[in-house]
Amino acid sequence: MPRLPRPLRAKPARWTHVALAGLMLVACRDVQQQSATAGPNDIGGTMVVAQPGEPATLLPALQGQIIERQITDLLYDRLAEIGEDLNTVGDKGFRKQLADRWEWAADSLSIVFHLNPRARWHDGQPVRASDVRYSVALMKDPALGSPGLPLIGNIDSVAVRDSLTAVAYFKRHTPEQFYDLVYQVSIVPQHILGNTPAGQMKTAEITRRGIGSGRFRLARFEPGKRLELVADTANYRGRPKLDRIVYVPTPDFNTAVTRFFAGDADFFEQLRPEHLAKIATDTARRAVPYTTLGYAYLALNNVDAKQPGLPHPIFGDRAVRRALTMAVDRRAMLRNVFGTYGAPAYGPFPRSLPAADTTLPQLPYDTTRARALLDSAGWLVGPDGVRAKDGRRLEFGITTPVSSAARKQYSVLLQDAFKQIGAVARIDEVDMAGFMARNGDRSFDTILELYATDPSVSGFKQSWTTSGIGKDGSNFGSYSNPAVDALLDSATLTFEPARTRVYARRAFETIIEDAPGIWLYEPPSVAGLHKRIRTTPMRADGYWSGMADWWIPAAERTARDRIGLRPTP
Amino acid sequence: MRRYVAGRLLQATIVVLLVTTVTFILVHLAPGDPIAVALDRPSVTEEVRQRYRAEFGLDRPVAEQYLRWVGNALRGELGFSFSFRRPVADVIADALPRTLLLVGLALALSFALGIVVAVLQSERPGGARDRWLGRVLLVLYSVPDFWLALVVLIVFAYRLPIFPPSGIVDPVLHDYMSPAERLVDRLRHLVLPVATLTLLATAAISRHQRSALLEVMPSDWMRTAIAKGLSRRRAVRRHALRNALLPSITLAGLYLPALVSGALLVEKVFSWPGMGLLAANAIASRDYPLITAAVLVTSVAVALGALLADLASAAADPRIRVG
Amino acid sequence: MSADATVPDPIDGGIGAHPMLRALVRDSRTRIALVVLLLVALGAILAPVIAPYDPIAQLDIERLQSQPPSAAHPFGTDPYSRDVLSRLIYGSRVSLAVGLGSVLLAMSFGIAVGIVAGFVGGAVDAVLMRFVDAAISVPRLLVLIMVAALWGRLGLVPLTLLMAGTGWFGVSRLVRAETLALRDREFVLAARALGTPVPRLLVRHVLPNVLAPALVAAALSIANVILLEAALSYLGIGVRPPTASWGTIIEDGAERVAELWWLTLFPGLAILVTVFACNALGDALRDAFDPRQLPRGSSDAAFASEA
Repeated sequence: MPRLPRPLRAKPARWTHVALAGLMLVACRDVQQQSATAGPNDIGGTMVVAQPGEPATLLPALQGQIIERQITDLLYDRLAEIGEDLNTVGDKGFRKQLADRWEWAADSLSIVFHLNPRARWHDGQPVRASDVRYSVALMKDPALGSPGLPLIGNIDSVAVRDSLTAVAYFKRHTPEQFYDLVYQVSIVPQHILGNTPAGQMKTAEITRRGIGSGRFRLARFEPGKRLELVADTANYRGRPKLDRIVYVPTPDFNTAVTRFFAGDADFFEQLRPEHLAKIATDTARRAVPYTTLGYAYLALNNVDAKQPGLPHPIFGDRAVRRALTMAVDRRAMLRNVFGTYGAPAYGPFPRSLPAADTTLPQLPYDTTRARALLDSAGWLVGPDGVRAKDGRRLEFGITTPVSSAARKQYSVLLQDAFKQIGAVARIDEVDMAGFMARNGDRSFDTILELYATDPSVSGFKQSWTTSGIGKDGSNFGSYSNPAVDALLDSATLTFEPARTRVYARRAFETIIEDAPGIWLYEPPSVAGLHKRIRTTPMRADGYWSGMADWWIPAAERTARDRIGLRPTP
Repeated sequence: MRRYVAGRLLQATIVVLLVTTVTFILVHLAPGDPIAVALDRPSVTEEVRQRYRAEFGLDRPVAEQYLRWVGNALRGELGFSFSFRRPVADVIADALPRTLLLVGLALALSFALGIVVAVLQSERPGGARDRWLGRVLLVLYSVPDFWLALVVLIVFAYRLPIFPPSGIVDPVLHDYMSPAERLVDRLRHLVLPVATLTLLATAAISRHQRSALLEVMPSDWMRTAIAKGLSRRRAVRRHALRNALLPSITLAGLYLPALVSGALLVEKVFSWPGMGLLAANAIASRDYPLITAAVLVTSVAVALGALLADLASAAADPRIRVG
Repeated sequence: MSADATVPDPIDGGIGAHPMLRALVRDSRTRIALVVLLLVALGAILAPVIAPYDPIAQLDIERLQSQPPSAAHPFGTDPYSRDVLSRLIYGSRVSLAVGLGSVLLAMSFGIAVGIVAGFVGGAVDAVLMRFVDAAISVPRLLVLIMVAALWGRLGLVPLTLLMAGTGWFGVSRLVRAETLALRDREFVLAARALGTPVPRLLVRHVLPNVLAPALVAAALSIANVILLEAALSYLGIGVRPPTASWGTIIEDGAERVAELWWLTLFPGLAILVTVFACNALGDALRDAFDPRQLPRGSSDAAFASEA
């Protein structure tokens, strides 16, 4: 089999920038004591989710925020579902969803998918192979403007063999071609959406009806008030155990927590350390920790924002970047913000990724060395205590999203840490849209990123190689090191997982030494859940993946569980 | 009377023009052209961008932009909210009635309460009761609005969870309740914000009522009333009160701006989805069209409220009617 | 009996012997207010001496953050392990500086506008007062919100200027009314008849007589500015971090107000006490100057819009 070079994937900032404080990409392994499985009577109940934020779109191809991904994942199906181990190579571990079975062509350039004949859209129409063709074509249509478009470049087209058989053609045989199709493309109904031009999908009312084939269907969506999902009782994959899930948007984090502890909500996705002591003594609620694919770091801009192409007057110098890293007591900051529940970031990766290595050598917290490094780099302390070089003060901005409490707190801590070594940092709070705009055009000195990677190592090429420097890439600090480029290329081209890990580890080691960012934390994700609700194992890329199987024992139902399937008013 | 009404209408018009002008100037003086910033984001489709640019004539001379802006604002075309992804006018149409409810209830309650307190005070001006009530009112008058709201929230929603901490109704169960239960649900959610705002407003209003009462006290007919054998207390209750009520209606108009400021902060604390919470959230998400529109609409509402109060008192007061 | 008897003309007679001042000193509100304001002012001036810690020093971010009140930190620490008492003491500087600075500016301007409008009368008066009437009915908080939202967090000087720019309407209306009354009074008419130039007339005869209501207004205005600064901070658009002000301390705890109650309670009380003192002083001044001439209603109403 020829090993063709993978096309460089321009992975945009897709569900990677967490749109609101506390919403973050999540990973698996629920540590709760799993009770016995749901009995036949344990069907029903209402789960209320307090959520600081709400979806702007319900079309899977347009989703860009965690909350949008969460809702669309529950409303729509894929051809197949990724396994618990998040393997992205070949089709190992993938489980059937809309496709009952699939066959690879001998040249591996096409795959035949046989759809489940019982699969129905929420309006009762059967799911057809033409819907698969339509879904891929829609996402590939540049007029749609799907953030995921660069992810499916290797999919050539989909042909309809008969109403239940779709054939997907790929441009090249790659380790992740199957994953590219079944993970990135959710299947949407052509008979509902087909009459709307792709360019108008963003504002089309029809997409807000959320008609999919998932086990939950959309009962109502009243922006600012609620988004209500109810069980699709006739679903081909079986009705969900819960009757309904109600998402109640709150204006801020605090209100969401308050709702949760007041009993107005059953689920809240991110508790803070101070709530954990409270929940430990709470007889009605419990903490549900999970790990994530996210990591947070202070990205240092290697290029001058005002004169692109020139190195940044401060951060263009590797020694200065290393010195600033050494000025930061990352462990203490972690304890300050997250207490004992935070996990440090050991480099540009989350621990739960197979390629992660937490034993890589780190730059130490050492303010003496940091000062010495700055001295020798020519940044000398002036009469006002601030360092300067060639008339330029060691002064820069820290851009942080105003909606993230954790990052806001980090920005004040970092400001003080930098002050200790003679650097002045200005805190620059911006809204999420402004934050993403600055990310996009790289107009910042430093920026507090919370980045959630893709389960695949190829995601790192977007964030840390030269190819990710452009506007669509996620290499926010425009870091460029040919050695890292080569190592990550090798890591994604091999079909052997062990060698992928070796290459990736060496790339990470080089990146840490070059210090293009200050690695801060992995968002500690502890959800709060009402005790009556039982969960299933939570997958690394989305704790909600098994929500249709969460259940409430019949004996523990409360007033809102007894609403039943009564039609919504 | 006609002249008075005309003058008052003119003043209200000036307010509206002033507010729109100041808003326009501020938005255009602000660094980094907020409208352009607001438009330059991925969630904004090219279509919306074009429509917005055309609507506000962003490429036209400033004078023309200004006229368009005023024209659009007066017609209720307030632009597009980027955080809600809906026309600003729609967003405000949802929020404004909730604020009016809050302010209206608080105004009515604080007037009733304020009059009771003022009567208690003016029965014996300078007496112990007058002085103590005066001090209590002065403390209330000095409390930061949002701080009082926070204290009320912590005590009555967190520590003693008697009332719901936020929102206007139970987000889930409300729709499945019987009509009676729904009413109770609504009232329960109203208690804390209305009580807080009423306390704040009473402090200001009863200070007025007291001086209004004292002002009418020494007038001839009061003297006559007392001479006729009415006790001072009855004279206050019967005659002075009735005469002092009239200026109170005007006071309602004068106090409206302060009351609305208070309501904005109280809404934020209790997550009451009115204009205040809207403005606070718009600030957090830097939704400039929404911020400016919220300021504009609230100011105009206040001006109209004051106008109504003045016209009402004019209609009731023969002195103004004649003049 | 001449109505003039109630209006002191400072040109004649020493102020020390004036019954007005005696009434003021005898008023318990004055004494309480002065003691409180003196303490706050001393705290602000002596902050470096009396504050136990540097207000922006993060003492130990790992072990001393969000500590409830204790012997070492009587008012607790904030989420950045900074001493709240020290921040409170330094924060009084911001509140007082913005309060005094902006009110001084606003009063000067407001008095000037009021005197001109009242004395010149006619079209000038009509235009000015129409403008003031309109401006006064716009909730001041809204204007501040819009400016702060558009420009981002403000520094101390812009904040002071902004407060001043939105704070002179009430006093100008009050002063205008005073001036109108003075214009036709005997001593002014006499001065005019003697050919006193108008500027001199205004400064020598009119200005001293409008200072009394302006002083009342100033006291109430400072109270308002302190409240507004706190409200802006609570909304997240107050002075820039890490500067300490009473409002920003509350803001630092606003996300977790139920847990970190000391971050809300102590600065809130500081604001309450200071604002109370200003208001009490204003009330006492007004009663001393002339309760009939300046009933609570009129001057409160003048500032209602500025709350």
